[in-house]
Amino acid sequence: MRYREALNQALREEMEADERVFIMGEDIGVFQGAFKVTQGLLEQFGEKRVRDTPISENTIVGVGVGSAMAGLRPIVELMTINFSLLALDQIINHAAAIHYMFGGQAKVPLVVRMPQGAGHQLGPTHSHSLEAMYLHVPGLLVAVPSTAADAKGLLKAAIRDDNPVIFIEHEYLYGQRGEVPENGGPMRFGEAAVRRKGSDVTVVGISRMAVTAERAAEQLSHEHELEAEVIDPRTLRPLDLDTILESVKKTNRAVIVEEGWPHGGVGANLAALIQEQAFDYLDAPVARVTGADVPMPYSKPLEQAAFPHEEHVIQACLSLFKDL
Amino acid sequence: MASDVMMPRLSDSMEEGTVLKWLVEVGGEVKRGEPLVEIETDKANMTYEADTDGVLIEVLADEGQTLPIGEVIARIGAPGEEAGGGRSEEKEPASEEPEPEPEAETEAGEEEPEEEPEPEREREPAPAASSDGGGGNGRVKASPVARRMAREMGLELSGISGTGPGGRIVKADIEAAAKGGGTAVEEREAPAREEQPERAPAPQPSADGAKGEVRTQELTRLQRTVSRRMAESKATAPEFHLNMEIDMSGCVELRERLKEVAEPAPSFNDMVVKACASALREFPRVNGAYRDGQWELYSRVNVGVAVAAQDTLIVPTIFDADQKSLGMIARDARALIGKVREGNITPPELSGGTFTVSNLGMYGIESFSAVINPPQAAILAVGALKKKPVVDESGRIVARDMMAVTLVCDHRILYGADGAEFLARVRELLEQPLSLAL
Repeated sequence: MRYREALNQALREEMEADERVFIMGEDIGVFQGAFKVTQGLLEQFGEKRVRDTPISENTIVGVGVGSAMAGLRPIVELMTINFSLLALDQIINHAAAIHYMFGGQAKVPLVVRMPQGAGHQLGPTHSHSLEAMYLHVPGLLVAVPSTAADAKGLLKAAIRDDNPVIFIEHEYLYGQRGEVPENGGPMRFGEAAVRRKGSDVTVVGISRMAVTAERAAEQLSHEHELEAEVIDPRTLRPLDLDTILESVKKTNRAVIVEEGWPHGGVGANLAALIQEQAFDYLDAPVARVTGADVPMPYSKPLEQAAFPHEEHVIQACLSLFKDL
Repeated sequence: MASDVMMPRLSDSMEEGTVLKWLVEVGGEVKRGEPLVEIETDKANMTYEADTDGVLIEVLADEGQTLPIGEVIARIGAPGEEAGGGRSEEKEPASEEPEPEPEAETEAGEEEPEEEPEPEREREPAPAASSDGGGGNGRVKASPVARRMAREMGLELSGISGTGPGGRIVKADIEAAAKGGGTAVEEREAPAREEQPERAPAPQPSADGAKGEVRTQELTRLQRTVSRRMAESKATAPEFHLNMEIDMSGCVELRERLKEVAEPAPSFNDMVVKACASALREFPRVNGAYRDGQWELYSRVNVGVAVAAQDTLIVPTIFDADQKSLGMIARDARALIGKVREGNITPPELSGGTFTVSNLGMYGIESFSAVINPPQAAILAVGALKKKPVVDESGRIVARDMMAVTLVCDHRILYGADGAEFLARVRELLEQPLSLAL
């Protein structure tokens, strides 16, 4: 099953199970989703529960926040994570803070789904990876599934969670296939997946980079006889730091791979946490592989050069063992 | 004969003072009661007046100098008198002599002692790119895990060659060195001690070793809570203690009689709880708490009873103890203590206390103090009943069952008289125990 089908299935199952669940966004109804995630939902659930909206991100999320406070369980699809910046007021000032501001009296069980990532020549306004921006905000849960099974399990969990969830999909992953357990239920947030066992270096991959990291690990094993342990945190908030630390304590080295920018990024945060809590277990500085510190280029070769590939991960891992 | 001017105590809390300005020059005349020097205390700048007539013959504390109370800061003598013994009386020479270093801790090695470069390094010189401290400042480049392992295994880092980037010593190097036998850590420490000739090389391996093997024990959540709250109490509550002896003869008698009719018969502790509860109703502040700049006064009187349980301390609550009969309190207390001992007490039964009674009488402790259970206003520490000779109203010496109690109070909400009145009322109730049965 493809990643996008797994998401579709999660939406369908949750809408069937709970009539408070509804979805809204641009082009999600008649057009069936810019990335075809909402295919067939309008037909099955009707306009009341699958609502096409005008281009008005802040208002769309605002309606989501309001209806969530009023007892519904809205899912908002934003066309890309770049466009979510238009809705930051609703997301950060309202969705994230309301439960806290009103002393727990109001909940915001809202899911904001949005794709991110480079590789499709969509230029800087469509291709960034901004998970760090949402990780920064207390009150939000942040999911970054990298497989079809996780996409389904985590989306179901996100819909059922009483907190606002920033659910970040990756455009490159929509077409990827993966096994999805039949009748799989919601997964728990805050449980990392160890994608590959290894004893020499811990590689943490965020979102699509979990896939890149796994491929790099295979090459490291075949060509360099290094066994990398690959961890996909799956959710950044809550973060399963224990699994990462446990692995670092075993391998004594860590590489964090993310597509986002280096400064103030997920890797920066994770590197700080690792050195704070596992300093005495490190054999090398925590290494980061990140996207280039530039707006994502439109030009294909430049775009390809601006986000990490397997060889970058391999280089980073090797650099922890010897001078390159 | 010259007289000393000493650093004066200018406020209760002052421990030292700083000379700001001498108002009379050396050689100048001073008169008793006239300003002599400005001194800065912990609170203010004050002018200090001479307490004798004469000439300021010597100034021993320069402007800006800080000295403890009592230190000589100047001398006043007769005109023409020579400055005397100077600073001979000062203790400085003795106290400034460097004290012998306390024994270096074994873990002193966070910063490695300056190491001589190895005479012959077999490994290749580090590449020029390594600007991160691997240079020639004598610091050994080793990863954190390598440092930790070397410390634990007693290996000397300078004797190990690193195979990591830039020549960094990594875990694998330590493991290899451990197999091949490295230099023991004691040897490394020896050069550092050379400056202290009189100190014989310590024969014991390390200061830690003297205590034998260390077995650390993780605290349970409960133990952690107790330690945190007790420290918090001591750190934040300014406490004072009130001691009193209570004649429990009446209670002893009452208990004998109650034993015949009640099961369970109320214990002395139950009587104390009941007496406290009744008194707490009358003294609302004892039944309150100081919190965040406010007094909180509670409408319910809930007395906590400190109970020792497996390696920890639990304080179950007897709710509305002021409204319960002595028998009900006895039953409640027995049930709660049973639950504590069996480990199935529930959080609601442990919360909501407004006052605590801690009794160590059953262990034969005659009197003790206790730590306030924060944020409560007070805790009553109850000792053992003991027959003691007491002078009665008619002047005869009689044997009475006396019990010492200590009320520990948080001075932010209770003042001495408050605590004393409360305690007097508790005594009154216990000495006339029939009132407890009402």
